[in-house]
Amino acid sequence: MKSYPVTPEIYAETTLNLLLKRAKRPKVHTLEDYLKDGGYKALEKALSMTPQEIVDWVDKSQLRGRGGAGFPTGRKWKFAVQNPAPRYLICNADESEPGTFKDRILMERDPHLLLEGMAISAYAIGANQAFIYVRGEYTTSYYVLRDAIEEAKRAGFLGKNILGSGFDLEIYVARGAGAYICGEESALIESLEGKRGFPRIKPPYPVQYGLFGRPTVVNNVETLCNIPLIVGMGWEEYRYIGPSDYPGPKLFPVSGKVKKPGVYELPMNTTLREVIFKHAGGTLGNKKVKAVFSGALDCFSAEELDTPMDYSPFGFGGTGTVIVLTEEDDIVKACLWVAEFYAHESCGQCTPCRVGTHEQAHLLEKILHGQAQERDWEGFDFVNGHIQPTSICGLGAVAGRLIRQTMQKFPEEWENYRSKLRVQV
Amino acid sequence: MSLLPEELSKRLQAHAEYFPRREQAILLCLHEVQDYYGHIPAFALQEVARVLDLPLNHVENVVSFYDMFDRGEPARHRIRVCVSVVCNLMNSNKVLLALKELLGISLGETTKDRRFKLVGVQCIGACSEAPCFMVDEDTYKFQSKEKLHEVLSRYT
Repeated sequence: MKSYPVTPEIYAETTLNLLLKRAKRPKVHTLEDYLKDGGYKALEKALSMTPQEIVDWVDKSQLRGRGGAGFPTGRKWKFAVQNPAPRYLICNADESEPGTFKDRILMERDPHLLLEGMAISAYAIGANQAFIYVRGEYTTSYYVLRDAIEEAKRAGFLGKNILGSGFDLEIYVARGAGAYICGEESALIESLEGKRGFPRIKPPYPVQYGLFGRPTVVNNVETLCNIPLIVGMGWEEYRYIGPSDYPGPKLFPVSGKVKKPGVYELPMNTTLREVIFKHAGGTLGNKKVKAVFSGALDCFSAEELDTPMDYSPFGFGGTGTVIVLTEEDDIVKACLWVAEFYAHESCGQCTPCRVGTHEQAHLLEKILHGQAQERDWEGFDFVNGHIQPTSICGLGAVAGRLIRQTMQKFPEEWENYRSKLRVQV
Repeated sequence: MSLLPEELSKRLQAHAEYFPRREQAILLCLHEVQDYYGHIPAFALQEVARVLDLPLNHVENVVSFYDMFDRGEPARHRIRVCVSVVCNLMNSNKVLLALKELLGISLGETTKDRRFKLVGVQCIGACSEAPCFMVDEDTYKFQSKEKLHEVLSRYT
């Protein structure tokens, strides 16, 4: 048994037993464990199909990207295969959104599921080289994946002439180094080329002009882990998992003030209320839920707990991150932490974002310390009015979103601070 | 002629030959240097540039972008305390207070014996175990000051 860096035992629970079938147990599942569970059978099946068929299956399965944007995976692949080879596949494992820790347990506990998913996907899009970009802080994931690749190579599931099919695939594992922006696909590609992680201007999109200027598909860890399921059971059966519009299992990392924080695998017709009260055991000390943050992106109030956890316009969407705040917590303070996150993680390429995110955090500090003047309150709109239209990537576009939403949904919380305004002489 | 110890040199060489293109190994090489010296010394930058066939200013440019690389003073171990939303909600302040009491350092500071450097990071992806922190490559849930003392005693 190999030893890996210490990691806390993250609780995991599943009602579907698909993605977390093995990963719900806190141990590294080796190739032997994976094969005992019918592992790499989907790869075998895939290699007997044509790449075009697999792309069609994934498209018909209606799988959407699990990394946050929810873009249909099949459509992304279809765009990529229209462009000439060589093509690349990249697994985005730079999971760094606050409150998100779902990809980590897939990589640490069930690495072969991801590798099988990558092998099938690479075959489908015609890539012979694939990369996994693991965030720098996920040391265990990095070592586990490196070892798992060696194991799979020795057994003939990766490398040259996979299972006698004539298809070659080399998977490389790269490490990030503490930059949230490298989770943005074009920044990730830049970083993988050995440069600063500056997002590129789009279009051209990575499916046209990606790694080294070649067509590249960038998919999230959880997305790629869904591929063996789709190929294994067939797209028709996969469509029966969960609601018909948003099929497939989804992982929900739940944290904050709940009794049983952890990763939950549920169908997407689950509501936010069910996630918190039925699965995560309710709030700490049975306090009232005040708000739920989906990472650093959206804010849901207590009246919106019946939101379905799907990708519909009014659904929860995103990465499925659930951060629970109760009546004890201060929304404005939480906004400061979010603002500090954006200020820290802005890559600095676009000046309005680099300066504006700091300015936004500074305004919040002033408000919390009762030093804000009347004009400071208008500062948020001013700052975000400039960041949003001038940013190359999505970070700038959403930097002020959560703050604006809390102002609409919790005006009384903000008013409390406004009344603390110091009288100027 | 390499300025680095043979062991480190060999590992940099192995990283350089790992990816399809040499320059892709820059982050792996810099991690190796960071872990070996506890920071990134100037002479090591030159070596990384040489091994990867890159201009020195490119390496400098990359080092200054990524948070995990430190050009400041060295420390044998690095403590990363999460100061992001979830850990803050679960009171990550008590981790910082306990560290202040045990080691006498605040965020950004290094102990006099250069054993520990304390830095704040935005989310280390173990939010169900909040408040959490990392020491070098290991991730822990904060339980109590006594437990923390015990954990730190493993890093000499």
